[in-house]
Amino acid sequence: MNFNNTPDAKRPLVQMEGIDKSFPGVRALRNARLRLYPGQVLGLVGENGAGKTTLIKTLSGAHMPDAGTITIDGVQPHIRTPLDAQRAGVAVIYQEFNLVPTLTARENIFLGREKAKCSFVSRRAERRQVQRLFADIGVSIDPEALCRDLSVAQQQVVEIAKAISISARIVVMDEPSACLTPQEVKRLFAIIRDLKKQGIGVIYISHRLEEIFKIADSVTVMRDGEHVTTRPVGEITSAELIEMMVGRRLENEFPKAKTPVGPERLVVKKLCRGRAVRDVSFSVRRGEVLGVTGLVSAGRTEVARLIFGADVPDSGSIELDARPLYIRSPRDAIANSICLLTEDRKAQGLVAGLSAHENFALPNLSHWSRNSFINPKKERSAFARYVNSLNIKLADQQQLAGNLSGGNQQKLVLAKWLESNSEVVIFDEPTRGIDVGSKYEIYLLINELAAAGKAVIMISSEFDEVLGMSDRIIVMHDGRISGEITDVAAATQEQIMALAIA
Amino acid sequence: MSILRSNSRMSRFLADYGILGVLLLLCLYYSVRTLKQQHPTGEAAAEILARKISRSFESSAKVVIAAKTGRENLAFADTLNELLEKAGFKIVRSIKGDPLSIRNAFGNLADSGLRADTIATTRDYVNVVRNIKAKFPALAEVTISTPDGYLWPTFLLRANLLNISNQIAVIAIVAVGMTMVIVTGGIDLSVGSLVAFSAVVAAWLIRRTGGANASGIAMAGSCAAAIILCAVIGTFSGAMVTRFRIAPFIVTLAVMQMARGLAYLIAKGKPIYQIPDSFLWLGRGAEPFFSIPYAVILMAIIYISAHIMMSHTTLGRYIYAVGGNIEAARLSGVRVNAILLLVYTVIGALAGVGGIVMASQLKSGAPTFGNMYELYIIAAAVVGGASLKGGEGKIFGTLIGAFIIAVINNGMNLTNVESYTQKVVLGLVILGAVLLDTIKKRR
Amino acid sequence: MSKARLFVVAGLAVAALVAILVIVARHGKATAVRDIGSKTTESTGAIGLSVLTMGNPFFKDIADAMHIEAAKHHYRVIVESGDSDPAKQKDQVASFIVQKVDAIVLCPCDSKSIGSSIIAANKAGIPVFTADIACLAEGAKVICHVATDNYGGGREAARAIIEAIGNRGKVAIVDYPEIESVILRTNGFEDELARAKAEDGVDIEIVAKIPGMGEEAQSFKAAEDILQAHPDLDAIFAINDPSAMGVVAAVEKAGKGGRIKIVGFDGMPRGRLAIRDGKVYADPIQYPKRIGTTTVEVIMKYMAGEKVPPEILIPTTLYRKTDAEKDPTLK
Repeated sequence: MNFNNTPDAKRPLVQMEGIDKSFPGVRALRNARLRLYPGQVLGLVGENGAGKTTLIKTLSGAHMPDAGTITIDGVQPHIRTPLDAQRAGVAVIYQEFNLVPTLTARENIFLGREKAKCSFVSRRAERRQVQRLFADIGVSIDPEALCRDLSVAQQQVVEIAKAISISARIVVMDEPSACLTPQEVKRLFAIIRDLKKQGIGVIYISHRLEEIFKIADSVTVMRDGEHVTTRPVGEITSAELIEMMVGRRLENEFPKAKTPVGPERLVVKKLCRGRAVRDVSFSVRRGEVLGVTGLVSAGRTEVARLIFGADVPDSGSIELDARPLYIRSPRDAIANSICLLTEDRKAQGLVAGLSAHENFALPNLSHWSRNSFINPKKERSAFARYVNSLNIKLADQQQLAGNLSGGNQQKLVLAKWLESNSEVVIFDEPTRGIDVGSKYEIYLLINELAAAGKAVIMISSEFDEVLGMSDRIIVMHDGRISGEITDVAAATQEQIMALAIA
Repeated sequence: MSILRSNSRMSRFLADYGILGVLLLLCLYYSVRTLKQQHPTGEAAAEILARKISRSFESSAKVVIAAKTGRENLAFADTLNELLEKAGFKIVRSIKGDPLSIRNAFGNLADSGLRADTIATTRDYVNVVRNIKAKFPALAEVTISTPDGYLWPTFLLRANLLNISNQIAVIAIVAVGMTMVIVTGGIDLSVGSLVAFSAVVAAWLIRRTGGANASGIAMAGSCAAAIILCAVIGTFSGAMVTRFRIAPFIVTLAVMQMARGLAYLIAKGKPIYQIPDSFLWLGRGAEPFFSIPYAVILMAIIYISAHIMMSHTTLGRYIYAVGGNIEAARLSGVRVNAILLLVYTVIGALAGVGGIVMASQLKSGAPTFGNMYELYIIAAAVVGGASLKGGEGKIFGTLIGAFIIAVINNGMNLTNVESYTQKVVLGLVILGAVLLDTIKKRR
Repeated sequence: MSKARLFVVAGLAVAALVAILVIVARHGKATAVRDIGSKTTESTGAIGLSVLTMGNPFFKDIADAMHIEAAKHHYRVIVESGDSDPAKQKDQVASFIVQKVDAIVLCPCDSKSIGSSIIAANKAGIPVFTADIACLAEGAKVICHVATDNYGGGREAARAIIEAIGNRGKVAIVDYPEIESVILRTNGFEDELARAKAEDGVDIEIVAKIPGMGEEAQSFKAAEDILQAHPDLDAIFAINDPSAMGVVAAVEKAGKGGRIKIVGFDGMPRGRLAIRDGKVYADPIQYPKRIGTTTVEVIMKYMAGEKVPPEILIPTTLYRKTDAEKDPTLK
């Protein structure tokens, strides 16, 4: 490996050609290719299931490609394991971080290559180097803080610091901004630009196209495991990009349909829980989509959990159709036709080890069971209706929920609550980690719910999404409602931001 | 991502019950290893021998019948007697008894000067008969006739298969509960002790209510009380797990010690024997059910109802959901605490049933019963495909797991493998079965 | 790891497992089965033996002796260890019955619960014998019980005490009254002293009888208490060798080593070593091998249609320092 030579700008840092990879029953990649030059940020986009992650996993040694060549800096290293990839200078920062939560930032950065004499770790030397790394990146994190105590953004910085410390020349980031606030994203971009200057090549995977346009030099589009195109970002528009990803033209990113708004349905009064939720009051009308936004940990999710009974409020009341509700558990909420589509589908929304139809049936078993004996035929036909109407893509009803793509998982959760006949539907980050095509379909479903007279609450960190899909917006800050926007059409992202940080 | 439709049913079945192959291979192995000449007994032996004697002797020949004691052997002697007399043979003597009575009868025969052509006996008695006959020169001319054997594995004898089922009944019954607990992501280490506790409580109560003369109602009541007590202890474990969020491993480890200690206290450290003979009925069989022991029938009933419960009812669905993702289940409106409580209660009750079966089989209740059973029971569930991470496990998989353990134990007894070695082999087979299962699932 | 490699590794693991299984099946067989089975064909019978536990050399000796004696008569012995688990022993007897062995010999794990197994064997017409530990269950028919003469051994121990301390003195017993055979030992001991008092004018008084659970630590405590209470003690009878070891430790701790005479029981290697070193005066020793040999002899007699007694007791003999010095196994 030649670190001292100035990298040749013409020679690609990474060149992947003709990569094929099959899993039982699927061809994940066919003739995929990718080229990354030193000091370049390459955006990698595509719908979920387009093969982006699989392609990255062949580069990182997590998968062996069935065919094709991977050239790194002019040589073809044998990458069989993640360690091989690391030695070849590839560092991957996954959506789920590879950090040990019970170890400190410093220990995580040096995990597996501790600075040690006779297996006694020299903490001081390690700490000095970590401090230098953090200073270079421009963040102040205590190297001795436990990783589980760090924020998501801070953990990400630890991962980046780890990548730099192993002298990685290729840094791959898989959806790095998914859990970050706008400021944190800004800081991340600063770090990426810094990496660029050092001649490091960055592969940036994201569903947020505006980020691609902001940070990437070129963009590679993938669809169905194949390479569609690679172009400098200056030569392509957002609409073109979407069209290439989806393979068809989408009319409008946010297909908001206006429905006449009726009387108040859900009324929340003076809801409190500790410091997280303080004196929150609002209402949702029939046929209305209420957007709730704010920065991460502003208390939005916490409010949703209180309404749904996942947590118990210290004080406050909830009324539905002018009838006071007594909610102490999700069971109570469901009995009162309230449902919550959680932000973290994997941890809270779905039982990954159960099949799609079993997940669908979980809150609804009483609909097709008698004396607690399940009628499998009725269950299947009920589910089949939703599979058709929501366009859920399944191999069969027995497919495990954990094996579905993000968009299909979200639709599955939605199907489950639609069947339970909910009158109040709370979406928490409904489109996080979901590809453009499925996003669009979910927006249409939100419209349908509103049109059917339900009260819809949509919690989202994406200000454009809130602006695009809501009838009314409330902004939260530090557990309180810091502002309300009734004239959504005239509102701007800056306006929301101002309320969010107020 | 998409599995081919036509294969999915088959591959699902294999994933769930592929371990069945291991069981069949084990059975095949032991069938081959124990293949040998089998000697018919009872009426069947009599019929075969009667035909053989009719072929090789004149119908006026004189026959002596020599048979062991025991029900089957008496049936042999009587049936043979009847068949031969019908065919015109003369039965000089029909001797049913131990070697001493054979010797006396032969001496008598030799002294009396009565002529006999052949002595008819069973194969498992022929050594004794031949040795004793050799002592009487007067009988030198007399031949010995035995029914022809047939080649068949001892392992596959009906009696042996019943033995296997009877031997595994206790472990298999409790393993049903263990599967449920493991599916919820928990574990229960207290079951071995609860088996002892249940047996001791039942025996103690029977002794208090009349001892060896206790009535049927007293016995039933004592057993029910023991089972309910075990269920209550299970509920206690479940409450500790749900209410105070203590890890099931720790809770049941503590309960394991307590239950064993209580069993010793109640029994004062000694086995309790004062139990009526009729208490043995669970281990016996009855004609209408092909003489399958009641314990085995009970086991079958428990398995079938547990299977229906786990795969066709809402409760079963909830149990899998709780184990798969407790938070998602709660947010879907499942009463997760109630489910956990129920599951620990069920395993407690089943351990109680196991204790009763064991007490019935051994006609006593001792605090030493069920030692290390928790490990066999967990092994049965895990070999059967239950995942200690929760969310996975099939009731019939567990039955297969239990039978794998039983077949190995029984097979090694039949092939005379030393007891130390048996432990090594059992450990290896558990490891191997789980390994195969894991690899298969990774595909 | 790639799938292909995974399969290779898994295949190797399974192959290794199978290999171990086969080797184990070959070599792990109970010693008794190996040599004779194949040579003699028609006349070979089998004796099923299930002992309390193979962890105790006493039962290993019984099994080995049975094997040797049975081989002389062209019988093989199938040896199983009940591992002190009555349920396990029940399974073993069930498999003996299925195999139609000619006779079953048991050292029961539990004198009462073994009954149902013996009744099952009776029903199948298979004669049952017990060795060392008797069956106390009703309705179970045992042809003959072969065991050490514990009562006689107890009397022998008493004679050893008289021999050691003379006609006068005070003696204590470290007891284990929960065990049938031990009760016989202490009864024999007491009866012999009473007889000696009446007939020979020996005046030895039993001043204490304290339970020691038959194990070293408990017996140590028991002996310490006895020494506290009776400083003028002359001798202690410990009902087995582990108890004797505990007593030796307590006596040495009290600085009375050599002054207080100790008599043990069993004649296990540790006990015999202590006798050689003069720490224990003597042991009535048991003969597990003789128990095994006699059991087979009784079975053969029974098979030949001869009358056999319901019980055969193997006498103990007294083992003193002079015997220990000649004992080749202690060299």
